[in-house]
Amino acid sequence: MQGSTRRMGVMTDVHRRFLQLLMTHGVLEEWDVKRLQRHCYKVHDRNATVDKLEDFINNINSVLESLYIEIKRGVTEDDGRPIYALVNLATTSISKMATDFAENELDLFRKALELIIDSETGFASSTNILNLVDQLKGKKMRKKEAEQVLQKFVQSKWLIEKEGEFTLHGRAILEMEQYIRETYPDAVKICNICHSLLIQGQSCETCGIRMHLPCVAKYFQSNAEPRCPHCNDYWPHEIPEVFDPEKQREAGISKSNKKSLRSRQH
Amino acid sequence: MLQTPESRGLPVPQAEGEKDGGHDGETRARTASQERPKEELGAGREEGAAEPALTRKGARALAAKALARRRACRRMNRTVAELVQFLLVKDKKKSPITRSEMVKYVIGDLKALFPDIIARAAEHLRYVFGFELKQFDRKHHTYILINKLKPLEEEEEEEDLGGDGPRLGLLMMILGLIYMRGNRAREAQVWEMLHRLGMQPAKYHFLFGYPKRLIMEDFVQQRYLSYRRVPHTSPPEYEFSWGPRSNLEISKMKVLGFVAKLHKKEPQHWPVQYREALADEADRARAKARAEASMRARASARAGIHLW
Repeated sequence: MQGSTRRMGVMTDVHRRFLQLLMTHGVLEEWDVKRLQRHCYKVHDRNATVDKLEDFINNINSVLESLYIEIKRGVTEDDGRPIYALVNLATTSISKMATDFAENELDLFRKALELIIDSETGFASSTNILNLVDQLKGKKMRKKEAEQVLQKFVQSKWLIEKEGEFTLHGRAILEMEQYIRETYPDAVKICNICHSLLIQGQSCETCGIRMHLPCVAKYFQSNAEPRCPHCNDYWPHEIPEVFDPEKQREAGISKSNKKSLRSRQH
Repeated sequence: MLQTPESRGLPVPQAEGEKDGGHDGETRARTASQERPKEELGAGREEGAAEPALTRKGARALAAKALARRRACRRMNRTVAELVQFLLVKDKKKSPITRSEMVKYVIGDLKALFPDIIARAAEHLRYVFGFELKQFDRKHHTYILINKLKPLEEEEEEEDLGGDGPRLGLLMMILGLIYMRGNRAREAQVWEMLHRLGMQPAKYHFLFGYPKRLIMEDFVQQRYLSYRRVPHTSPPEYEFSWGPRSNLEISKMKVLGFVAKLHKKEPQHWPVQYREALADEADRARAKARAEASMRARASARAGIHLW
């Protein structure tokens, strides 16, 4: 191939099964990813030591590079939980959804996406989305059907629903950030701390800059008098807690004790 | 961008090209300085007995040729990458992929290089993902992906965070019904069974969507089921049988085991079907042995060549 000075990783069946399963799920939380990794080792290479997750994924990504895809790590906007998805580096459209949904369903998603991006809170109400049903491209869709399509989006983890309002799932942000920034350059909001796309967050009431909730948590950690990093005015919102994977794992353990087969905990 | 049904697959190459224009510029700048000395050496070899000192015009022409070659190479790599993604995405829907689809949505005017492109894509699919790209139908040039990773044991399967559970379960039920009825089931019988499970053809189901669409379009198109008109029936009746993909991916013994579990009985409870399933297992074992033998023969032939 072309001369590449970067050392390319090696794929074994452990990595292949990991990739296949990650593709099947679309998006996974970090503790699920670690469990998946251990499962793949158990199936294909029982005696090997499990690689550190970051190295494991970097190894796979170095092989995926020539295919213009990568396993990307992101963080949920509401409580900072790390998530992973296989994303396309070269495309800038929502093509991954395109195979699972009909033309009018995709257009419904697009309408919801626009409402979400334009909103102040990052949420679009079910009513407002459904009112746009007449404007959809493709086969005519009734409101009742549209409600169920929205539920499909929630189930396949493209949207999140909270009390009748919809926002983007972390998966959609991971996969479509580039597309969104290019398609809606004026309406898009950016976090002042991490400079990534912002859908939900807190904003300064004086100067208007915005920050993700997990970014707020990290930036103001153990700061008794939080002040806006831009205009230095008092930060008026409640500061959330920094995400703690240990606490998360306890919750995960109690959930999965129902399953009979578990590898040892650590 | 969000467009027509064409974007159901992957975006058309033009959009891709625009995006990559900038990218190309960067890499060009970076690699040009590294590669020029090499290219000139190579050029010297190509020219053969030509004069060792190249004129400025000649050097520019050679550099342009080298650049064009690099561009073509990059374009080839991109097309291969797009084809890999196209195949993965289409396979996720489990629909067989035709050569004409690949040319239409991905390959475009590189059509003449199709054999090379698909060979490279197949190699990526094998090495990176563990899928084998198999030509499913020689006449119509259709392909499917087969999972080459070893199938899971039962305990392992429970831990597999497994994806397509409900739909696979529904398919198994239909395959089971067909099998137990002597490898054919009338359409009416299938709908009767689903009705008993609380499904109606045109009513949206929270797990399966519209059952009629799932069965008639998805399962039939993906070749898990075959749908045929029963001859000499009026009004016309239709029947389902196992599709070629089911025969490839699922065994009669497995389906019989599924049905047996449902009824809390042993597979041997149905002697006719059990005998048929045993014969099917024997056939599969023979086919597998034949395939392995020919692979070994090919491998040793290759090794023989390398010795020289």
